[in-house]
Amino acid sequence: MRRRCAINVRGMKQPARSSAMLFSCGRPRIMAVVVILVLLFVPLPKLFGQVDFVGDQVDFVGDQVDFVGDIAPLLQRRCLSCHNEQDRKGDFSLQTAESAKADGYVVPGDAMASHLLEVISIRDGKSQMPKNSDPLKADQIQLIRKWIDEGAKWPADLQLKESRVSNFEWWSYQPIRRPAVPPMNGDWGRTPIDAFVMQKLDEKGLTVSEPADRRTLIRRVTYDLIGLPPTPQQVQDFVDDSDPQAYERLVDRLLESSHYGERWARHWLDVVKYADTCGYDKDKLRPNAWPYRDYVIRSLNEDKPFSRFVQEQIAGDVLFPGDPDGILGLGFIAAGPWDFIGHVEVPESKLDGKVARNLDRDDMVSGALNTFCSITVQCARCHNHKFDPITQDEYYGLQSIFAAVDRAERPYDLDPGVEKRRQALKIVIADQQKRLELVNAEMEQAGGARLSDLRTKLKALEEKVNFEKSPEFGYHSAIAKRDDLQRWIEIDLGDSVEAAQIILHPCHDEFGGIGAGFGFPIRFQVAVDGEESDMTVVYDRANGDVVNPGLEPIVIELDGRKVRRVRVTANKLAHRKNDYIFALGEVRVLDVDGTNRAKGKPVTSLDSIEAPVRWGRRNLTDGQWPHYQDPDAAKSLQVVKRELAELNVEIETPKRITERTSAAKKLAAAQSELAKLPKGKMVYAAATHFKSQGNFHPTEGKLRPVHVLHRGEISQPRGIAAPGVLPLGLDFSWQMEADAAEDERRAALAKWLTDQQHPLVWRSIVNRMWQYHFGRGIVATPNDFGRMGAIPTHPELLDWLAVEFRDGGDWLKAQSMKSLHRLIVTSSVYRQRSASAEANVVLDGSNQYLWRMVRRRLEAEEIRDSVLQVSGAMNHTMGGPGYYLFKLERTAHSPHYEYHKFDPRDAKSHRRSIYRFIVRSQPDPWMTTLDCADSSQSTPRRNETLTSLQALSLLNSRFNLVMAEMFAARVAKDHDSLEHQVRDAARLVLQRDPDDQELKSMTAYAEKHSMKNLCRFLFNLSEFIYID
Amino acid sequence: MNQMFERRDFLQGASSGFGTMALAMMLQEDANAERAVKVLHHPPKAKRVVQLFMGGAASHLDLWDHKPMLEKHHGEKSDFGEHVEAFQNGLGPWMKSPFSFKPYGQSGKMLSEVVAPLGECVDDMTFIHNLVGKTGVHSQATYLQATGFQRPGFPGMGSWVSYALGSINENLPTFVVLPDHRGFASNGPKNWGAAFLPASSQGTAIFPQRSNPIEDLTPQADFATAEGDRAGLELLSKLNRQFQTQRPDDSRLDARVRSYELAAKMQLSAPEALDISGEPAHIMKMYGLDRQGAKYPDTINPAEEAEYFGRKCLIARRLLERGVRFVQIWSGNDNSFPRRNWDSHENIERDHGPLARGMAVGTAALLKDLKQSGMLDDTIVLWTTEFGRMPSTQGSKGRDHNPYVFTNWLCGGGVRGGLTHGESDQWGYKPLDRENPTQVYDIHATILHLMGIDHKRLTVRHDGIDRRLTDVHGHVIPEIIA
Repeated sequence: MRRRCAINVRGMKQPARSSAMLFSCGRPRIMAVVVILVLLFVPLPKLFGQVDFVGDQVDFVGDQVDFVGDIAPLLQRRCLSCHNEQDRKGDFSLQTAESAKADGYVVPGDAMASHLLEVISIRDGKSQMPKNSDPLKADQIQLIRKWIDEGAKWPADLQLKESRVSNFEWWSYQPIRRPAVPPMNGDWGRTPIDAFVMQKLDEKGLTVSEPADRRTLIRRVTYDLIGLPPTPQQVQDFVDDSDPQAYERLVDRLLESSHYGERWARHWLDVVKYADTCGYDKDKLRPNAWPYRDYVIRSLNEDKPFSRFVQEQIAGDVLFPGDPDGILGLGFIAAGPWDFIGHVEVPESKLDGKVARNLDRDDMVSGALNTFCSITVQCARCHNHKFDPITQDEYYGLQSIFAAVDRAERPYDLDPGVEKRRQALKIVIADQQKRLELVNAEMEQAGGARLSDLRTKLKALEEKVNFEKSPEFGYHSAIAKRDDLQRWIEIDLGDSVEAAQIILHPCHDEFGGIGAGFGFPIRFQVAVDGEESDMTVVYDRANGDVVNPGLEPIVIELDGRKVRRVRVTANKLAHRKNDYIFALGEVRVLDVDGTNRAKGKPVTSLDSIEAPVRWGRRNLTDGQWPHYQDPDAAKSLQVVKRELAELNVEIETPKRITERTSAAKKLAAAQSELAKLPKGKMVYAAATHFKSQGNFHPTEGKLRPVHVLHRGEISQPRGIAAPGVLPLGLDFSWQMEADAAEDERRAALAKWLTDQQHPLVWRSIVNRMWQYHFGRGIVATPNDFGRMGAIPTHPELLDWLAVEFRDGGDWLKAQSMKSLHRLIVTSSVYRQRSASAEANVVLDGSNQYLWRMVRRRLEAEEIRDSVLQVSGAMNHTMGGPGYYLFKLERTAHSPHYEYHKFDPRDAKSHRRSIYRFIVRSQPDPWMTTLDCADSSQSTPRRNETLTSLQALSLLNSRFNLVMAEMFAARVAKDHDSLEHQVRDAARLVLQRDPDDQELKSMTAYAEKHSMKNLCRFLFNLSEFIYID
Repeated sequence: MNQMFERRDFLQGASSGFGTMALAMMLQEDANAERAVKVLHHPPKAKRVVQLFMGGAASHLDLWDHKPMLEKHHGEKSDFGEHVEAFQNGLGPWMKSPFSFKPYGQSGKMLSEVVAPLGECVDDMTFIHNLVGKTGVHSQATYLQATGFQRPGFPGMGSWVSYALGSINENLPTFVVLPDHRGFASNGPKNWGAAFLPASSQGTAIFPQRSNPIEDLTPQADFATAEGDRAGLELLSKLNRQFQTQRPDDSRLDARVRSYELAAKMQLSAPEALDISGEPAHIMKMYGLDRQGAKYPDTINPAEEAEYFGRKCLIARRLLERGVRFVQIWSGNDNSFPRRNWDSHENIERDHGPLARGMAVGTAALLKDLKQSGMLDDTIVLWTTEFGRMPSTQGSKGRDHNPYVFTNWLCGGGVRGGLTHGESDQWGYKPLDRENPTQVYDIHATILHLMGIDHKRLTVRHDGIDRRLTDVHGHVIPEIIA
């Protein structure tokens, strides 16, 4: 008899505690009273399709053990990840019969003698193997023992493989078909949505609720679509409107409002982990993240077709070249956290650098797949997905799509003409660089063996010479583009001095590999004057090139001549790197007693680069100059350098010099023009070309090798991953060419994510939108349509919406999010009251079949925006860089975001919350308290918690206090009478008139304790922050 | 410079009617309803945890893990016998600790002079010298030790414990964080965030040295008065109750009314817990708080460190006494200059000296104080950091990161005393037994175990995965349990 696992559930049947137990014991624990809707809505045990491994509970009976059915799956699941042919941990593999039976691990017919049994047997609750894991169950060990005793039969040529799920029998992988809309009885329903919902309600014996009153309706739909309260006037107009289409007109007005994009972009940004800082250590600012935020707002307001919206965010630069939105959309890929240290401070060659980049790609892959497909692909980073048909190889295939991509700033609004010129200049620069390289190589060759010999000597001597220099290098002239310009310095000794010697000390700078004698002029003169006489040249090398002296001082004998001023004039400047300068380390003027009379004396010059401490005029007389401690080696070094210089003169034929000069000139001209081209505005986005920063360099499209990583460990790379999307059990080509370029890979991904046949994408987006309207999705786990996720409550409705949205039809404009909003909010389901009904509660307490509308608390942004709005403080300026709700300090190293030092009176912050600057590692405490999304993780749906902290924040935070003052001032402006002020304030907050009792008690309170305090408490009314 | 604020101002402010306290607080019908683990998985030994976190990576070699070999071979070219990937360039010669070591207690545990005050406690402590990390990058390593994951988005250990066990006293937060007074360490508040757990399980940061230790404790507005707040709360309660009775099916609305009542209670409890003015002189001295009002130099110095850290330790004790479940105390802020954390790349003596001396005074006082009151029996104290430091020099006096081995110690709450479990190798470079190191998962599993929780059964499903503190790893370490 063959026994399969105890749990063998096919299709959509409710299992007992399911095979999830194999991998993680336990399940979400629900708190009865704490209101965490998100948890309450997750149905606990999940439904499973059949997966091709077996459960742990094996009932052992007397028949022969079935290797394929019982033993192989066990070995595959518990042993094979280490003991395979490739890894051979402990020099042992269970992949083939031959390897398993080698070395006495499995001795057919003799379990007692088999080493395998020894290592898996349990002592004190522990076993040697599986390492770092739970022991096998006793009955499993017993089974293995029996299998060995029975001869360890292993079908010939059967190779075991690490366990994987390959079953696509799950609702979300099935093709989407347009279901027929069920017929509707009665006149309750208005839309196909109502028909589908009604059908389910009938099926479950539930009844619909009355329609909500108009005041409730306008409040509900206004918050829902634009995230702001309606004004008292708008409420009144709507309540009084006799037009039967009044509600439809209201919906149209709201969808036309630019506030719509501001509200709905927030949902999208929650999912994509948008923030304005990088997160991780140092949490550096991203000053140009916001153009992506504005792009999302604008795209929604423009009702951009969804496919286009998806494609722009994955590969807009490739698919829509020249369109700024194609680049702005790529802010999607870059929106999540980024490890500054792991990229900028640690080089990619180190393990930590590789780990950072692996995690970075993981964020891109999971971001794209969670957002658009609602599958938890990231579970396959360390092993094949335990529940869904995604292998580790496929996961890394997705990673390799992003192999060349980083997050960085890139321009997005470039003029095509300017771009053309930029490309042309880049070609010129590359050509001239090639020319320069060529002439340099030619000279190398001409130098031959002698050149390389001299260089070797030079290097050895330089190491030997013990060289000392202070951080004050010396004097450095301004940089000249030609060498035939004059530069001078002059020292005033203060008094006339009987001078014995003037000594010039060259300086030293490794810049351009020059080192000793840096900037020493090729032709120069030294002139002095006495007390009154004119300048006299005392040393003249102005008529022929001098050989660079290295660090050898130039000594000029003066024999007691009277000197007051010393001037050194360079007539031919020293070559630096395609430009020319004059630099000098020190000038000493020794008197007849040998005292340096120049020390500390003032220096003037034609010009100077004053860059303390290295460069500055005063360094010329500071008594410090670079010198060698081993003068002999230094002398030999000098000789070698001289020889090298002479050799260079031989090599540098006039023809070569002309060639070099010409190339350098053209190069410089092109570089300077390139630098002057308009740079364009920048957005933080996916990028392959950007400015290097520390160890963080652009790939320029060069693909990094992406390996499949054993257990997700960088230190255990396996083969190179083949780029591809997920097969999804469908008949389309999912693998890309192994040598596909960076842009081709992303373009292929973008096309796959918008493929008409894609079973996940269309369901995913309509489910998300449904969820934001009704508080929960048709699938309650909007980021997970896999076997660990929820199953749809209304599968036909979901598919009907997906098809209608994808293709368009009688009810929806294809790909139009606004038309889907309109359909949903004008449905009868949406217009129901939120009040409870006892009979329905018994059958469906959590309202998953929508027999009423859902009462919800406003989200953090809605509360803040409403407070600003009713206080009259709101400034509705759209877009632009985020405003701060903190004081920013110490940006140079680790920026400090000091919320407690911020003054909420700052009018710049009185704008909608979508425009605030979001700090990833230090989120705004007030917003966090009100369950704002955490930008470190994708938040497909916010928690709704109830804590005393919220009570405290809403009553006493400085923001609420300041707004209470402004609110009081606003209502005082219009009315002298306190009662009128109170009535106005209540209307603004509640969108209704207070009744007499309320008005009386509120006015009494305001009279005694001020209007400001009343306003403060009005912000705390449940009626203000709950929507019926 | 003394930043200590006037306690009196704070108390006066707090007593003016309804004070705000940024406390994470779950609402509950009764003490059992708020907790995710309704029935403990096995009998617990501990109820509370104190986690001492040294930001910047404290050196095991200069505090706890004595290495005679480094003294013997000091200054000799280091040789690790294998290629070592240093974080920066810390592979200079072997370097002995600038501090001297001597044995303490019955167990004869060798401790550095800079942590000498803890000598009196070693017989209650278990040292684990073979902790290994996964990365030498501060941020990731801090996340790993604080949340069990190398990247952001996961709840801290304190959040898991709060979520699982709830509060002991609903008038105080379940999980309190006392950050370094200079600012946040790497990752800031994300180290104690609730992530996907309910917001109520997040750590509540308290800054004892600020004039307003808990943000929004009192309404900072001249129009707010005690009487006005009382009357305002009454009015609010009436109106919210009215709204709720019209919607009797919705328990949230009732809970919301009660959340204001609960908040008012907390407003009284919290300042009392933070007020150390009634502590006797010998206690103040023990915690290094006998120099109140002293002027300190601008450079880092042991007395000032002791005062700041000691104050946090004393407040921790008071919070624990009053039913706070989990207290996390930080030493060291971010990596700016001059160094005010444990990241001694340049000079161990200069930074570790004062930081360790300050930390040891407060820590020893806390351990002794808990012990004399009997609370140490069911309070676990864990000392940790993000990774260790290299036995070779960086520059001439500093040490580079060493994620390959470092030290944790635990004390109280059912942990054995006078024990060293797991050794590092002769240099303190890697575990002595490289095949069997200790990982943060094991520490977390053991702490949960001591609290009566099976770390594998405390899970929350998030985006399709049953998440737990220990990811897919972790073994309880039976050897260190008394």
